[in-house]
Amino acid sequence: MEKPFILHMLTTAKNLSPFDVNMAMDAGWISAIPYINVEPSEVRGLVQDAIFSRSPKGLLRTAIFIGGRETKQAMDMLKMAKNSMVPPFEVSVFADPSGAFTTAAGMVAAVEKELMDKFDTTLEGKNILALGGTGPVGQAATVIAAQAGAKVRLIGRQLDKAERIAELCSEEFGDGKISVTAGADADKAEYIQTADVIFATGAAGIELLSSDLIAKAPQLKVAADVNAVPPSGIAGLDAFDNGKPLPGSISGAVGLGALAIGNIKYQAQSRLLKKMLESDQPLYLHFEHAFEVAREFIKSTNY
Amino acid sequence: MPKRSILHMFDPMPNNSPFDINMALDAGFDVLMPYSNVKLENVHHLTQDIIFSRGPSGAKKTAIFIGGRDIGLAIDMLQACKPAMVPPFEVSVFADPSGAFTTAAALVACVEKVLKKHHGKTLDNCKALVYGGTGPVGIATGVIASLHGANTTLIDHLSVDSANDTAKQYNRLFDAHLKGAAARTDAEKAALIEDADIVFCTAKAGIKVLNSLVLSQAKQLKVAGDVNAVPPPGIEGIGFNDFATHIENATQSEKALAVGALAIGNIKYKLQHELLKSLLDTDTPLYLDFRDAFNKARTLFNYE
Repeated sequence: MEKPFILHMLTTAKNLSPFDVNMAMDAGWISAIPYINVEPSEVRGLVQDAIFSRSPKGLLRTAIFIGGRETKQAMDMLKMAKNSMVPPFEVSVFADPSGAFTTAAGMVAAVEKELMDKFDTTLEGKNILALGGTGPVGQAATVIAAQAGAKVRLIGRQLDKAERIAELCSEEFGDGKISVTAGADADKAEYIQTADVIFATGAAGIELLSSDLIAKAPQLKVAADVNAVPPSGIAGLDAFDNGKPLPGSISGAVGLGALAIGNIKYQAQSRLLKKMLESDQPLYLHFEHAFEVAREFIKSTNY
Repeated sequence: MPKRSILHMFDPMPNNSPFDINMALDAGFDVLMPYSNVKLENVHHLTQDIIFSRGPSGAKKTAIFIGGRDIGLAIDMLQACKPAMVPPFEVSVFADPSGAFTTAAALVACVEKVLKKHHGKTLDNCKALVYGGTGPVGIATGVIASLHGANTTLIDHLSVDSANDTAKQYNRLFDAHLKGAAARTDAEKAALIEDADIVFCTAKAGIKVLNSLVLSQAKQLKVAGDVNAVPPPGIEGIGFNDFATHIENATQSEKALAVGALAIGNIKYKLQHELLKSLLDTDTPLYLDFRDAFNKARTLFNYE
């Protein structure tokens, strides 16, 4: 009998996200086992317990999922997990804290598609404002877009915090190969003058981009919002919008709502969970891989 | 639809061990349910909730696993399950905190096997030392050895009081005859090892407990087993895969033989697998602790 597929699901929070559990089961994992309130320092022990009770062949049917809420913590835990492997005793690990990595990947891939479909251009050299960009989705989207060649400015209510996170994105997540700038929310009116793309990744129920500002954006092309709870983060944008003209835009910008982005996010997360099932070698997956599969999904369909 | 098999996994710690999870699924359980931060006083109630929801035939496809780090607590929890059963509403229970019971059982069984085959002796009346004797594996190892007649000493690396207290506590629980000792320095280790027949090394991973100097003081060492699988080994000069391999560093004990951590680990793995499977295969409910684990380990070597 083939050994059952086991996904060990680690989170620093006091519960797993049921979203992730459903996703894992639907991707084909037979058992999804929760490990809650996990301290980063416990990762090594848990990983080594997981790898030494199956043969290398059985370990191909074993993997670890890292949830939690914080981007940096999840990336650190992913690294720690990787360093704890004792080849050939090694399993795949996928980090997606709060689903932020796959959500960000879904958003950036959807924006890229709209740029191509409606404006015949790419992310390369585009000015992007990441509004509410200091949270997990904002951070991952910033890095993914910057790695695709965009010039991203990460906007937060407190400038010093935005600066700190922009540096974290550039140096830590972008490995020093990208350069993200920061800006204060109070100065959006100035930045909107040159913005090509808006990411709205703030907390639910806060309007980050008003109709007033939309009307002052002369070169805005795509505005994307991950908030599915009304009011939307971008004035006039509906959660179902999927490339619909943005009301009040003077430059013919289109909008992407949370449910349109959510569909791609769903596909990206499902594909990465399946990849770990099918791979014949251990994989270490995070936002970059999420973006790859989100792009693949978009290419594969007339979505 | 036939009922699926369910293993309810009680753990006093915040999380179960992924090791046990893999083992339980590979043994054939369909569904694992982790219960974390379980306290002794919760066990009665949890057990009754388990037995009354599936009927006697469903109970046969249901079992309880007790994990954690504390072997005394694990034994108490196992004991607490028994009076909660209401035959025929009854399920099997297996305690193996941190895998300590199956590791200890495998260690003693391997050492006993080598002792019998190469020295023609049983554990009875042998002088046995347990280094790292106050940890979970060490205590279980000591109790098994003592119950099979070995004159056994639990050794703490810091405190003789701690060793004595542990010995007394487990003597009371299991009718064993353990003694306690401390070995802080090479001189103290050497003094203890001089007339030892058997050495069990169950100390923390990656710590060399017995160096060649200490080993060279052993005058009648017959078998030494080490469960530490992370280099360096706990006993200098022995290999992880050793099984009845000569210990060259024991220069005064020509016939001293070693059993390494991977050889023991291999038996431990089979043992835990078999015990988990037995929970599913049995017709009458089982209550398994390290003593049962040892008996099963002996059968893996075709003992009786």
